[in-house]
Amino acid sequence: MVTIENLTKFYGSNRAVNNISFTINDNEILGFLGPNGAGKSTTMNMIAGYLPMSDGTVTICGTDITKDPVKAKQNIGYLPEIPPVYPDMRVREYLSFCAGLKRVPFGQRKKEIERVMDLLRITDVQTKLIKNLSKGYKQRVGFAQALLGNPKFLILDEPTVGLDPNQVVEVRNIIADLKKEHSVIFSSHILSEVSAVCDRVVIINKGNIKAIDTIENLEKNLGGNMLLHIKLKGDRSKASSAIELTDGVAEITKINDEGNGFFEYIIKTSGDADQVRTEIMAALMRNGVQINEFFTEKPDLEAVFMQLVNSTSNKSGMQQLYEEIMAENPEVPAEDDNAAENTDTNSDKEGDE
Amino acid sequence: MFSIYKKELQSLFYTPFAYAIAALFMFLFTNTFNNSIGSMDSSVFRFAFSDIFYNVIFYFIFLIPIMTMRTFADERKFGTEVLLMTSPVSVFKIVMGKYLANITVFLFMIAGSLLYPIVTAMNGEVVMGQLLCAYIGFFFWGAMFIALGMLVSSFTENSIIAAIIGEIIMFAFLFLDDFSQTDFIGQFPTLQKVLYSFAAQPRFSYFSQGLIRLSDIVFFISAIIVFLAWNYINIERRRWKRG
Repeated sequence: MVTIENLTKFYGSNRAVNNISFTINDNEILGFLGPNGAGKSTTMNMIAGYLPMSDGTVTICGTDITKDPVKAKQNIGYLPEIPPVYPDMRVREYLSFCAGLKRVPFGQRKKEIERVMDLLRITDVQTKLIKNLSKGYKQRVGFAQALLGNPKFLILDEPTVGLDPNQVVEVRNIIADLKKEHSVIFSSHILSEVSAVCDRVVIINKGNIKAIDTIENLEKNLGGNMLLHIKLKGDRSKASSAIELTDGVAEITKINDEGNGFFEYIIKTSGDADQVRTEIMAALMRNGVQINEFFTEKPDLEAVFMQLVNSTSNKSGMQQLYEEIMAENPEVPAEDDNAAENTDTNSDKEGDE
Repeated sequence: MFSIYKKELQSLFYTPFAYAIAALFMFLFTNTFNNSIGSMDSSVFRFAFSDIFYNVIFYFIFLIPIMTMRTFADERKFGTEVLLMTSPVSVFKIVMGKYLANITVFLFMIAGSLLYPIVTAMNGEVVMGQLLCAYIGFFFWGAMFIALGMLVSSFTENSIIAAIIGEIIMFAFLFLDDFSQTDFIGQFPTLQKVLYSFAAQPRFSYFSQGLIRLSDIVFFISAIIVFLAWNYINIERRRWKRG
């Protein structure tokens, strides 16, 4: 379990990361999402103990990283944005060096190195000089380094950048597998990747957290209104009026006549889509309309992302953050209130710049 | 610490680096030795191995920064500093691991020069006490400049810049004693005394005369500690300043 509290980083007078807090639970994959320059790498460097924070704490498996860095770092495997490899070393040599650095006991090193090489499929390049490897292989060697010693907590900074589509899928599968034994935080600016692998996501822009939630909730709460598709057979006017009279239906956006008495309705909802769906079904049944097909179209995740990132007030994101902090330490509401306000004014200021 | 030490040694010995430096050192040493031995009959010149060291030291200033220029500059350049800093190893151990590796290469380098005293001893007579002192002095001298070279390397990402700046500083150290003897500085006796006490050259010359003085040893060791501590502070400082 990793706890990040009020993490802040100033570069000079520029606030790169602004008072962010979140937790990464055991056996959880947390996606860290944001556009370029949002403060992702800075945050990850701080969590990994490379950059000192201007304020806040990072606690890794119960150890504060600033108070006992050596102990805290034993639980971390870190793959930075640029894989930290020595071009003049051979892959195996490099991994053996890293194993020593990570204090893998001498007797287990060989086995451990073979395990990670196997996992990332770099066994066939083990005798090559790293400088002769392609970008994808370098990335995987860097990844292998992070897995050495089986640390409980993995920090992966854009692990799939520079890989070909096959490798991306491979690496994603590896990350998904890691969940069994590790907690993982991995950053990306590719949404589909995050939604494919992560349990929860943290969305960050300009150093502020815009949202912390599961993908499903994000879609539900922030993705605007769900679209319902209904294919039905029966009296069209009856069906239309039944649908329109149901609570929570914003409008019928389209009716396609599909022939043979079949119509497809596309309905925009407002409010809880599940509730609306049940009610529409019930209404249609009452009117004797035959339902052939019924599905909910999820809003585009990309749209969710854009909406969150571009929102200047970030009300919803802050609200969630606020609630999360409240849930953890309810005894300090006043301070958090201020923090939330500060963040708001700051983001406004940044917007002005 | 040991794994960093091992890795540094590998990076120096798996590449032609250590060998090239050692070869250059041997060349300089041999050249001076030959010249000295060749002119033995013709003059009142008294030949001593310590004189060779004294002469070589000037060239030596080119070698040490080349050896140490990559220690920290390359870590920054390749982004591998992140790996070291996020591993469960303290900065102190990183600095010491690298320092000891450089010292080992340095020892490898001067070990080659032992060939000449050995050959000379087989065919003639060598003043062992003086020779030993010269080697001890030379070792301290080198150990101090390695610490200095590493410090310079930790200031930059560019290893060539590190080498050049390292050379400039080492030259300044070398000429400090000449400079402190000038008439101009002579006007200020206190300043002269202070400057002279920082000059490493005269201290080495005591060693090469066969004198081991506690003050000289203390000077070299404290210089090494100061440079290494500064190195440590500098790495931490750069982390804090980064951005």
